[in-house]
Amino acid sequence: MTAALEAAGITVSFGAVRALQGVDVVVDEGKLVGLIGPNGAGKTTFVDAITGFVQSSGSVHLQGQDISKLPPHRRAHLGLVRTWQTIELFDDLTVQENLAVAGGRPSLVSTVVDVVFGREPRAEQTAEEVLGLFDLQEVAPEMPSNLSQGRRKLVGIARALAAGPSLLLLDEPAAGLDTQESGDLGRKLRRLVDNGLPTLLIDHDMGLVLGICDEIYVLDFGKVIAHGTPDEVRSNPDVLAAYLGKSGQAQAGARWAAVAEGTRER
Amino acid sequence: MASQIFAYAIIGLGSGALISGVGLGVVLSYRGSGVINLSTGAIAMLAGYCYWALATGEFGVTFATGWAIVLTLLFSAVVGIVFELGVVRPLRRQPPLAKLVATLGILLSAQAAIVLAFGDTAHPQPSILPGGNVTLFGVTVPDYNLWMAAIILAAALVVVAVYRWTRFGIGTRAAAENEAYATLFGLSPNRYSMGNTVAMALVMGLVGMLAASIAEVDPTTLVLLIVPGLAAAMFGRLTAFTTTYVAGIVIGMAESVLLYLSTQSWFPTSNGGPLPGVDELLVLLVLVVATFFRAGKIPSRGDIVESRLPRAPRPVAPLRTAAVFVPIAALAMWVLPFGFREGLITSCIFAVSLLSLVVVTGYLGQLSLVQLGLAGVAGFLVSHLSTNFGIGFPWAAIVGVAAAAMLGVGFGFPALRVRGVQLAVVTLAATVALETFWFSNGSWGAGVIGASVPAPSLFGFDFGTNASFHGLGGGEPSPLFGWFCLIVLVVVALLVANLRRSRLGQQMLAVRANERAAAATGVNVRNVKLTGFGIAAGIAGVSGVLLSYSYGSITASSFSALIAVALVAFVYITGITSVPGGVFGGLIYSGGIFAFALLDWFGLQGNWLNLIVGFLVVLSLISRPEGGATFLFYGKHPSLWARSPKKAQATRPLSGTAHGGTAHGADERNQHGLAPVEAEVTS
Repeated sequence: MTAALEAAGITVSFGAVRALQGVDVVVDEGKLVGLIGPNGAGKTTFVDAITGFVQSSGSVHLQGQDISKLPPHRRAHLGLVRTWQTIELFDDLTVQENLAVAGGRPSLVSTVVDVVFGREPRAEQTAEEVLGLFDLQEVAPEMPSNLSQGRRKLVGIARALAAGPSLLLLDEPAAGLDTQESGDLGRKLRRLVDNGLPTLLIDHDMGLVLGICDEIYVLDFGKVIAHGTPDEVRSNPDVLAAYLGKSGQAQAGARWAAVAEGTRER
Repeated sequence: MASQIFAYAIIGLGSGALISGVGLGVVLSYRGSGVINLSTGAIAMLAGYCYWALATGEFGVTFATGWAIVLTLLFSAVVGIVFELGVVRPLRRQPPLAKLVATLGILLSAQAAIVLAFGDTAHPQPSILPGGNVTLFGVTVPDYNLWMAAIILAAALVVVAVYRWTRFGIGTRAAAENEAYATLFGLSPNRYSMGNTVAMALVMGLVGMLAASIAEVDPTTLVLLIVPGLAAAMFGRLTAFTTTYVAGIVIGMAESVLLYLSTQSWFPTSNGGPLPGVDELLVLLVLVVATFFRAGKIPSRGDIVESRLPRAPRPVAPLRTAAVFVPIAALAMWVLPFGFREGLITSCIFAVSLLSLVVVTGYLGQLSLVQLGLAGVAGFLVSHLSTNFGIGFPWAAIVGVAAAAMLGVGFGFPALRVRGVQLAVVTLAATVALETFWFSNGSWGAGVIGASVPAPSLFGFDFGTNASFHGLGGGEPSPLFGWFCLIVLVVVALLVANLRRSRLGQQMLAVRANERAAAATGVNVRNVKLTGFGIAAGIAGVSGVLLSYSYGSITASSFSALIAVALVAFVYITGITSVPGGVFGGLIYSGGIFAFALLDWFGLQGNWLNLIVGFLVVLSLISRPEGGATFLFYGKHPSLWARSPKKAQATRPLSGTAHGGTAHGADERNQHGLAPVEAEVTS
């Protein structure tokens, strides 16, 4: 079976700095895969690279199809859809229109017909469903700037879902959410994945990532330093060192263990 | 020949110095406050008039040259202070595009004020420089050219020294780098901004006075010096004073040498004279090169910017609105006396023009100043096809509009790389080049006298301005032509309103808001931009066709850069993001019905309107950026329209009409978009 996403040897350089060095990540169908790493490890750069926003070498295959050379919007058409750490909603459009832009790729004929006869674009069923999924129906006519940070975050995810992804890339969806909202989001993501949407989740919320992911990649200084199930990653000494620094390993190891232990209860 | 070229190159130092000076002003404004100041040339013109008035005794007192110079510099400083307090400071938190539009407003006001005060004819003025000759390498040239280059060079060097070695210069640089940090360190960005603006005004004062040596004072020459000045400043990446100076001098010398070459027998001719507009083309070329290869490295500023382009509200019920206004306008075409009728027709035509700006700027977020030039392209094609090839309405009009649309797509290509403010600069130069190179050209354009345009008729039915059907007041233009224009306007307005509601319009606004995010959600940013430019250019072409039919003849001056600037100013105060904004902009446009009413009832010239509108632009950017008509029609709250229950219902009938039209039900989420395989099929 071909993987939903197979990124091999992704390398990105900014001038002399190598932000990513040969990163391999595979997301299998039906899997929720986490990508974690300390600040500056290259997580967002990785997302930028595979969605085509940053020049990179290496290959990206989406369901077996090579998309390495395609521009960002073509990758999105094929189902590789992402969210942004900084949300990046269309501030000039309502929530509903934000989703509509993602959902519809109008043909020339339908555009001409819409413009000439002044037809309202047909509402996308997907968009409505997605709004319902995140309890966003009542804010559908609002402008994004009127919403709270948490809501905006959800609209960002909803917009990605409205684009009809075959693989979802979430860049820090839980940042800015409180613990309860974050847990809630986690359950929703899990349900989406169980319904057949493979997802790559990047987040700082260890509880969230360790708690709901099927497998996890750990990135540090632009390299994958560990890969495995949450349990394997929890006990990996390299991960410990990356997060806490080698010198402070002894005392900080205890704290990491506590965090890791806490997430087991989810 | 070589010595002649050398002589002309030296003579070019004079105009080159003026270009450099204007370029320095642009750089000073940008470094001081992040404004791309298109009004530097206009400020130089104000100073030029001040000097002329003082030195020739226009106000009854004649000052000696020295006193006139001192007083003119003082006057320039005051203009700078007023400019800083009235424009730069209130707009500090506005996005770069708003600042640029504000300076367009100032340009318009300054020009209108001068025309009102002193008329639009040129006046001779005494030179401030000695009028001797100098012989260099066997060539004798007037030495004021060297003086001008030297004086502006001195000004540039003083500025460079101040920037490098004084606390003021360091503070300015710090504030430009990061305004917030500069403030934290106790530096006052306001003070540095003021210093730079006054310095800019003083340099412009010098330019205005130095110009006396090589030109008479008039209300356009110095104003339009902004175009080559910008080209020089772009070469200096809006930051380097010396590079800007050198680029300006080189442009001036090149233009002067071109002037000499145009007297040669091999130089391409048109209608007996040398090909016009070659130097404007050269400037456009320099600007394009500078923008493409140098502008990428223009350091962006660390300003604290709060707002973006004003919102573009979704039209509620365009047909209903049209049903209210159209019968009134149609009746007015018949009832009104001829002057008002003509004003109303002009308003309709310019409303179409402004709707093209609504699409390209309001929806797509790209400020294009070439829309009027594109209108001219369509208008001139109509004239040529009709008079030279016997192709009349509607085919000539269709060809004209199509050509404008294609050219518009061509202008869209630079917009893929340069955006916003820099695009405005390039398109301004393009407008000037189109006007001089094409429209004024004796063989392809109108020359000086104008090209005639036969009246439009369809199946032998004449509906031109001189059609036999007369309105109640009698006289031309015929109401038939008015109704024709009105119908065209209504159709265009409805299409533009529908565009906003369509998917394409939503994609345009998505691109306007955030290109990266648009691409990430599958929007083909390139195609959307090019389509938007094409549509807007087509609309501009329609207005150009109407304009050519309405005058019965067509001249280059109808499509000048200054009119292009005025159009942007008018539509900004009524609302550049909505259809009502465009239509009302046409109604109040100078030359339109409102302007005629002012003239007829109060004896106020159109320039009074320009003067006021120029200032209103600044005011409107500060207090009501969405524009008066947009505000009137859509209210203050962005989501007001959406809260009405009717609208909420209208957007919710999803079942059955859903995209793809497959079965619906509780499980559909899985089949219909969220699941990988199905998503690809349905889209």
